[in-house]
Amino acid sequence: MAGQTETAVYVYGIVPTDVETEPEARGVADAPVTTVRGDRIAALVSEIPRDQALGTPEDLTAHAALLDGAAAEAPVLPLRFGAVVTTRDAVKEELLTEHQDDFAAALHELEGKAEYVVKARYVEQAVLREILGENEELARLRESIRGKPEDATRNERMTLGEQINNAIAAKREADTRRAADVLAALDVQIAPREPTHERDAVHLACLAATAEQADLEAAVGKLAQEWEGRAEVRLLGPLAAYDFVVTKQPEG
Amino acid sequence: MTTAVQPSGGGGNFGGPSSSSLADVIDTILDKGLVIDAYVRVSLVGIELLTIDARVVVASVDTYLRFAEAVNRLDISGTEQKGLPDLLEDVNSGGAKAKTSGVLEAAGDKLRDILGEDEEEPERAGRGRKGRD
Repeated sequence: MAGQTETAVYVYGIVPTDVETEPEARGVADAPVTTVRGDRIAALVSEIPRDQALGTPEDLTAHAALLDGAAAEAPVLPLRFGAVVTTRDAVKEELLTEHQDDFAAALHELEGKAEYVVKARYVEQAVLREILGENEELARLRESIRGKPEDATRNERMTLGEQINNAIAAKREADTRRAADVLAALDVQIAPREPTHERDAVHLACLAATAEQADLEAAVGKLAQEWEGRAEVRLLGPLAAYDFVVTKQPEG
Repeated sequence: MTTAVQPSGGGGNFGGPSSSSLADVIDTILDKGLVIDAYVRVSLVGIELLTIDARVVVASVDTYLRFAEAVNRLDISGTEQKGLPDLLEDVNSGGAKAKTSGVLEAAGDKLRDILGEDEEEPERAGRGRKGRD
């Protein structure tokens, strides 16, 4: 390949060696995606310039879209965004050949499965009303600062906001438990995620058989119905199993 | 390749699986997945990463004041009155329907972070992350 020293190899993930990439598949920096094949496993890779910073919204989306697209069809071990190795040979020798048994075993476990993420977010006005309705003290605090200048009531506002935040956190915990209970009725593994938004109600990843996706949809649909008007529920997937792959502990 | 999305099979107002927004992607690929460093040592290339830690600091002074403001504006009798985040959503999404606004808002939040236009939440300043070497 021309300019070998100026390019490097971006690695998306590990797949079984018989996985084919589509010729039109594009990855970060809009580069064509190919495979580096080992005996039993292969890596999904593309070439990137060595001196170009990565991380535009397009780069991030390309990384996820490629892996999630692959996960819908075959088991895939996703790498964290930003994995870059010097050459294709190095990918083969250091990544694939060296760790073949570990990766092949992990891929075997993921056979027929994919990750799904359940996200629910409180509807602001609805959850605030709910909280004020449940807590007289907060309702009084709200009345006491209502219409007063912000500067004069900063401390009261802080207290009010903090208590609302705490009340949402308590609701989040209860609603996450409720969601986990609903999902537990299915044959899935669950991995809770940290909330990433202050109005997050539920943020859970689960590993489920792609053949049983309809059951998952029905269960999540039930939650959506239960919380209608109060929280927006979404199901993402199938995704690569980002929350269920475990990095081998470095030795020595 | 695009994110595979199966046709809807859900009940109620739940429309089945949705495709990942940029915010969803950021929640997923920056701190989850296998870490290449654990497997490749000699041939690792340090590439500069523009990405930032886009996660919301859920319990912050900023959050508290925003909630206080929202609750202050809340019309408790139930008639329509918009809180601050809703107004922002409208700016971001050109007035998208309530059903999808959460997603759009989140994407807008994260996009602002990525682009470094962080006027709303100054304590979440962008942090350039240098790739490993």
